[in-house]
Amino acid sequence: MIPFLARRLLLALFALLGVIILVFVMVRLVPGDVVTNLVGIDAHPTPEQLANLRRLFGIDLPIHVQFGKWFGALLTGDLGESLRTNRSIVSDLALRLPVTLELTVLALGIALLIAVPLGVLAAIKRGQTADYLASLFALAGLAAPNFWLAILFILLFSLQFRLLPSGGYVLLNENPLENLRHMVLPALSLGLSLAAATTRITRSSLLEVLNLDYVRTARSKGLSERVVVYRHALKNALIPVVTVIGLQVGTLLGGAIIIEEIFGLPGIGRFALEGINLRDYPVVQGAVLVVAGAFVLVNVLVDVLYALIDPRMRYD
Amino acid sequence: MNRFRWLNPLIVVVTLGAVLSSGVMTQKYGNVLRAGMQTDPVGLDPHVTEATSTRNQLENVYDTLVKFDSKGKIGPALARSWRVSKDAKTWTFVLRSGVKFHNGRTFVASDVVYSINRIKDPSVKSPRAEDFAVVDSITATNNSTVVMKLQKPFAPLLAKLAQSLNVIVAKEAVPTINSKPVGTGPFMFVEYVPSTRMVLKKNPDYWEKDAKGNKLPYLDGITYSYLPDPTARTTALRTGQVDWIEYVPAADVATLRKDASLQIVGGLSSNFRAMYLNVKQKPLDDVRVRQAIAYAIDPQEVVDVALFGTGGVAAKGTTIPAGNFYAYTKSPYGTVNIEKSKALLKEAGLPNGFTLDLKVTSTYDFLRTPAEVIQAQLEKVGIKVNIQAEEWSVYLPNFLKANYMSTVIGSSGLSDPDDYLYNTFNTDSGGKYNNFSDPEIDRLLDQGRLVADQNKRKVIYDQVQARILQLVPMVFLFHSAQYEGLGKNVKGFEHFPNTSYLGFRTTWLEN
Repeated sequence: MIPFLARRLLLALFALLGVIILVFVMVRLVPGDVVTNLVGIDAHPTPEQLANLRRLFGIDLPIHVQFGKWFGALLTGDLGESLRTNRSIVSDLALRLPVTLELTVLALGIALLIAVPLGVLAAIKRGQTADYLASLFALAGLAAPNFWLAILFILLFSLQFRLLPSGGYVLLNENPLENLRHMVLPALSLGLSLAAATTRITRSSLLEVLNLDYVRTARSKGLSERVVVYRHALKNALIPVVTVIGLQVGTLLGGAIIIEEIFGLPGIGRFALEGINLRDYPVVQGAVLVVAGAFVLVNVLVDVLYALIDPRMRYD
Repeated sequence: MNRFRWLNPLIVVVTLGAVLSSGVMTQKYGNVLRAGMQTDPVGLDPHVTEATSTRNQLENVYDTLVKFDSKGKIGPALARSWRVSKDAKTWTFVLRSGVKFHNGRTFVASDVVYSINRIKDPSVKSPRAEDFAVVDSITATNNSTVVMKLQKPFAPLLAKLAQSLNVIVAKEAVPTINSKPVGTGPFMFVEYVPSTRMVLKKNPDYWEKDAKGNKLPYLDGITYSYLPDPTARTTALRTGQVDWIEYVPAADVATLRKDASLQIVGGLSSNFRAMYLNVKQKPLDDVRVRQAIAYAIDPQEVVDVALFGTGGVAAKGTTIPAGNFYAYTKSPYGTVNIEKSKALLKEAGLPNGFTLDLKVTSTYDFLRTPAEVIQAQLEKVGIKVNIQAEEWSVYLPNFLKANYMSTVIGSSGLSDPDDYLYNTFNTDSGGKYNNFSDPEIDRLLDQGRLVADQNKRKVIYDQVQARILQLVPMVFLFHSAQYEGLGKNVKGFEHFPNTSYLGFRTTWLEN
């Protein structure tokens, strides 16, 4: 287990380094820079003044020199300052990471709470009304984009029923209840499509397992259907579910960008979006580093979890 | 100084109860206004950013030397009065006494010297360093007098000083200006949590008083929260989650006006949007082709279709909105004249029209949606329009390098006619953006900067605008409108046409 873990972690580090370099180069290849954005169209600076601004921002240096500087600072735990706001990126990320984590964990929780029971129900009631209803939910959930759901939920739960706030954020440590009230709609909008996908996987995976020989053996031994499904079949059926969820965390983090923007949550997605729109390179690099790090970490975790659930998966 | 006279009836109509009640009802002290903003400030240092969001959220924390009122007129602020020398090159400002910074220190003349020099300092990276390039020296002759010596007469100086990002800061607070702003304004900065909230509380020592002599501000504080999505923002207002929102989407104005629990204020803003023509590219280098385009475009239809009728007001003249003291509205265009347009094209050797590339930005709806309307309008005279949309950060450098054939863009936050005209049409200024250069216009624009007398200035700017309409470096489309949404309990808030929320200084909340 230990060598397996070590190998996975080493590979993960390389993947992360690859992402960092790729993003570092890509944001600089995209046309436009922070100086153009900052100055806009009304200031009319001379080319010398523009060049001077670029020099002061340090974005006129060759790309490898910029990377060397940034990477050297990164090794000391410094992600630099935003070019637009001069705020420390580490402290901004520290403020924003918990928000995105809370959002994705809640969305994941909602997805699992809906998907696993619904998937199991659909599998054991195969071909019956419950199965069709579950499939309908899965289809609708997959078809509806989360930004559309978000607007729909705002109009329904905020405007019509006046139950939940339409946006904004309350710090978790200041008022946990209000914080949760502000998180319900975002988490629901984000979690539903994952719930839909997971329902389908759970259903098909359980159906597959229920047709295996060992399940037939269990049934022939006279075990109740409940014991057969929950004790014997479900654990094996959940292996592909774990994989899918692991991979979907990346999708969740991507979806969080849009959801955070709509509901005005101060998460990493919105931070990255602001950085991208205004070509604030260090902000984009910092945000991508954290998101890619989280994604890589979740994948390592999934691999470990996998190895724990199914010993056959431990490659050596 | 009655340049924005035309706005009076508009403001009275649109601000409905807000303005009327301020005269009738008694102002109430206390309460914190919850304001729903579209975006975070881009940093908290007003001198280093050009962002409207920073200006709007900090302009009540700071003061400027002089300030605009809601009608666009410049009046005293930290400067009680000022005088200009005969040669118009020396400006003397007499400062208000007894004004205190939020840290308790008394405001003095050297603060003005420091602040203006800070904006001019290249190492500060202020995008508005150019605003004061003409200022040769600035000195404090005593604690309450500041003297600015200019290289040459510069009539727009007051407008630059009134720009509410060109604020007066306390030197000792500058090291932490980006985390703890210290000003002299009616509200003191308490905290800013990125993308979550900014909290301001009342400055009990604020110097300004209302018309009846009551101390301002009435509010105990303002709490800004950030709701970037327009649906989330308008819903927050309708459900009472916030008391006030900015940027009510034009498409929602009609619906929200029907809601008795809300007030929608606003209207025309001091800006312009035009279809820029790159006058160096063929066949746009032929003035007859440019005139043909102008004759074929119906700005009112652009407003009605692309902006839902409420998002703007169709242009009647050039960049300066109709009604403004300096507006020139004797435009030959505005109503479509297909025959004339076709005749001009024929004269220019293009009887079958031509293909026109129209580059727009996809980031801002109000700059993108007019493109389709223009496409349909120009088709009628045989001009085939190719629309190309680019994200703002990609579009902007292309625009600045005049790397386009035609585009839809404009400028915002304009006040002085010099902003509207010099910055848009002078060869070395805005002219670069579409390769437009006309020595006669340059000469008149320079002349306009030297003349302080409003009526004499108007004669000059009338000539400039008549010539612009003749040469058609761009086709003027509309002036964007901007709306704020208020709960019924919000009183005394005035809409400013220059996207300013100085109106919070006189706002109060009924319970």
